[in-house]
Amino acid sequence: MSSFFGWLFDVYVSADSMTVWFIDEQGHAHALRDAFRPAFYVRGPRQDLHNVCTRLHHQRGVTLKRTERTDLFLGKPVEVLEVRTPPGSLMTIFRQTTRCFPDLTYYDGDISIPQRYVLAQGAFPLAYCEVEHHDGHIQHIQSLDSPWAIDYRIPPLRLMTLRLTGEMRDPARGHRGDLLVSIDKHQFCFPRARSRELVRGVQHLLHRYDPDVIISTYGDNYILPRLIDLGRHFGIPLTLNRDSRRTVQRKRASSYFSYGKVVFRNEQHLLFGRWHLDRQNAFLANDYGLDGILEIARLTGLPAQTTARVSTGTGISAMQVATALRRGVLVPWQKRHPEDLKSGIDLINADKGGMVYNPIPGLHEHVAGLDFSSMYPSIMVHFNISPETVVTRGEQGEPVPELGTRVLRDRVGLVPETLAPLLEKRFRYKALIRKLPPEDPRVERYRRRHSAHKWLLVTCFGYLGYKNARFGRIEAHEAVTAYGREVLLQAKELLEARGFRVLHMYVDGLWIHKPGAVQTPDYDALLDEIRTHTGLEIGLEGVYRWVAFLPSRTEPRVAAANRYFGAFEDGTVKVRGIEARRRDTPAYIKQTQLDMLDILAEGHDITGFRAALPRAINYARQRLVALRRGDVPLNELVVTHRLSRKPDEFTVRTNAARVAAALTREGVTLSPGEKLRFILVPGPEKARPWELIDTKTPYDREAYSELLLRAVESLLMPVNVDRATIDTWLLGNSGYWGPPGVLPPPGVDIRAPLLASCGPALWIRRRTAVEERTLYPQPLGAPLLSAA
Amino acid sequence: MGRTLPSITQAFLQEQQSLARFRRALRREDQLALDDLLADARQHLAEAAYASHLLPFEIMLLAMLVEEHKLVLRLRQQIEVLQVNLERMQRGESPSLKREP
Repeated sequence: MSSFFGWLFDVYVSADSMTVWFIDEQGHAHALRDAFRPAFYVRGPRQDLHNVCTRLHHQRGVTLKRTERTDLFLGKPVEVLEVRTPPGSLMTIFRQTTRCFPDLTYYDGDISIPQRYVLAQGAFPLAYCEVEHHDGHIQHIQSLDSPWAIDYRIPPLRLMTLRLTGEMRDPARGHRGDLLVSIDKHQFCFPRARSRELVRGVQHLLHRYDPDVIISTYGDNYILPRLIDLGRHFGIPLTLNRDSRRTVQRKRASSYFSYGKVVFRNEQHLLFGRWHLDRQNAFLANDYGLDGILEIARLTGLPAQTTARVSTGTGISAMQVATALRRGVLVPWQKRHPEDLKSGIDLINADKGGMVYNPIPGLHEHVAGLDFSSMYPSIMVHFNISPETVVTRGEQGEPVPELGTRVLRDRVGLVPETLAPLLEKRFRYKALIRKLPPEDPRVERYRRRHSAHKWLLVTCFGYLGYKNARFGRIEAHEAVTAYGREVLLQAKELLEARGFRVLHMYVDGLWIHKPGAVQTPDYDALLDEIRTHTGLEIGLEGVYRWVAFLPSRTEPRVAAANRYFGAFEDGTVKVRGIEARRRDTPAYIKQTQLDMLDILAEGHDITGFRAALPRAINYARQRLVALRRGDVPLNELVVTHRLSRKPDEFTVRTNAARVAAALTREGVTLSPGEKLRFILVPGPEKARPWELIDTKTPYDREAYSELLLRAVESLLMPVNVDRATIDTWLLGNSGYWGPPGVLPPPGVDIRAPLLASCGPALWIRRRTAVEERTLYPQPLGAPLLSAA
Repeated sequence: MGRTLPSITQAFLQEQQSLARFRRALRREDQLALDDLLADARQHLAEAAYASHLLPFEIMLLAMLVEEHKLVLRLRQQIEVLQVNLERMQRGESPSLKREP
């Protein structure tokens, strides 16, 4: 028997046992096997269970046992039949049984087997452990690591990157390039024209360097399948997997609906004993990078190749399953827990979401942005909300505000138990990020893990309300939003009692103003008071030098809840809902808007904002001139659009329809939810796919100018500069005519409300000049005036 | 997304729709005034949602009144300032922008 120290790298089922890969301190990979016999459970009338036994008892490797286990929703032990099988046949036997006996209740049947294996070993993916083994078989794994550790070591991974030369364009839509492979600071280029050498070369590199991770760009849908095809064609065995007995696992592409949006998931190619991560097919991975992917794998117990690709909802669900398995509670396979009956009045009270106010429109100075940190998860933990703790009948438990339901407080719910350590870890990272000097190399790592936690936490709320989710229950979901509204209103009342004016409230955030409170320390005592009062963690996002709430596009008289921009004390800018935040805005327009904002952010208050305006306008003018001269590189003008339907289902010839049609003509198959990238071109063609563009293509200057002018308009709206004025300033040759207060040169149409007085926000909303004009296109008649 | 009940914005739009014939019959200037009132109601949709009133239109009427009353208060304040200044000027003093207690 021998042993070594290393990190758990990969786990998968191979027939009757598990294959487990470790990476040791020196970076060497070890493959070991381990016996594992997972079980599923069946509950029902004795006679039916007896029939299940008769059917299963002679199957190879199956053991049956009658036992007692706790059902999560019933909250008491029940008699169940335990069916233990070899790992490779569990899914098949489970599926057969459910098909033959559909009326029985099943538990634990569909939980991922690698996850159950690592859990049974007391370990998790990427855990540092001591492994004792003998003759290729694991004797014992001792985990020396905890998923809740703040600073942990990650294995010395050897990375290989694969990409095609040229711009980052989807090769499946016609872009072609040579294959670039980099590993250990070496870079190799294999010309695509010589494909036999290409496959040989890649195989040689795989053999020589034996990478742990292959990070590709478009590897899932193009590079890997293409390499596999070529290898097969030339008869060259390509060892993409470390485990030579396995073939590369391929998962098909799919489109599905999520939150009113079609989402496209490209096909996947997963490896054994090695990871393949595709930058272009990673769910949110740009946000948190490899650090975040590893963190999620450690926390959720799912393999890193999976966590890089699945939505984080799957992650939080896996964590809840892990809690249940640790507790020894049975996890129902298909929940039979319909929504409880509600009266119409109950429904009116309960069926509401978070509070979304309409802010007071216009430009405000010295505004503080407060937000409850991870509000909904914190509510679940603080008020013990979980599918099994929310009850609709009886007198037990704490009543939920507004609703007739109650929450049991005598036992910790499964969801709070899962979330509490996660929230704590997140708050600790947040505190560390604040405390450490920004140049510390740990800060970036912590920031990425912190951001990964955020994505895990936002999905946990949705999963509580989703009736098909394993631990979803609508009453629990309603209780969370009810507490959310209560907490927000408590905060509002407290703030108003302290003399603050609440400008805006948005689910878990408040924007407040009080003359004299202009710096961060002015708010410390206030935040402590809210924390004690509500029991939830609230933070100061920052104090804005100025912030502008913009009117909604459809109803200019009402401000939109999530269209605003502002500059914090330190000059950083925050934007929501305007062009710079939108995914479809070309990079050039985005950059123009953000640069203008940086100029405006130099103003310390409303007066400063107005004083900085001329410079911002001059800058916009330069950018517009460059755009109209045709000087802007095409890659800064790419418009991105998510395809909402199949290409042949378009009825209106929008730009997206044209691009989809052009790509279809080129032989590309498009599915709903896929991203389209295109350039607006002059003439009847209007838009051309980015993949079919060559360098000499001219762009549609008028269309892009319009986009840029609209972006400028959003920024100037709060100081009442309307579109006509912007056109005069930017398109006309007069330019901006000087600092506010100076009259324009003769002959220029002065529609310059910029010159009109605009003091600090009034507490009664006045209609702005822009609104006035949209409202009353013709001059007002006398009757209305006298009637008023 | 599937909803059991219409959201407050949907309820608002329905109410607005039900006023379409009334609005059509109004004179142009009255139509514009009505639009202003509806915009006032729209400003308070979050509060109306929280109220969970069976008849959201009643809440909308109140929201209009709230906005109108704010306007009345504001105008009253302005008139008071003007009045004070008028008296000052009649006494031969210089006007002040501040509202005197």
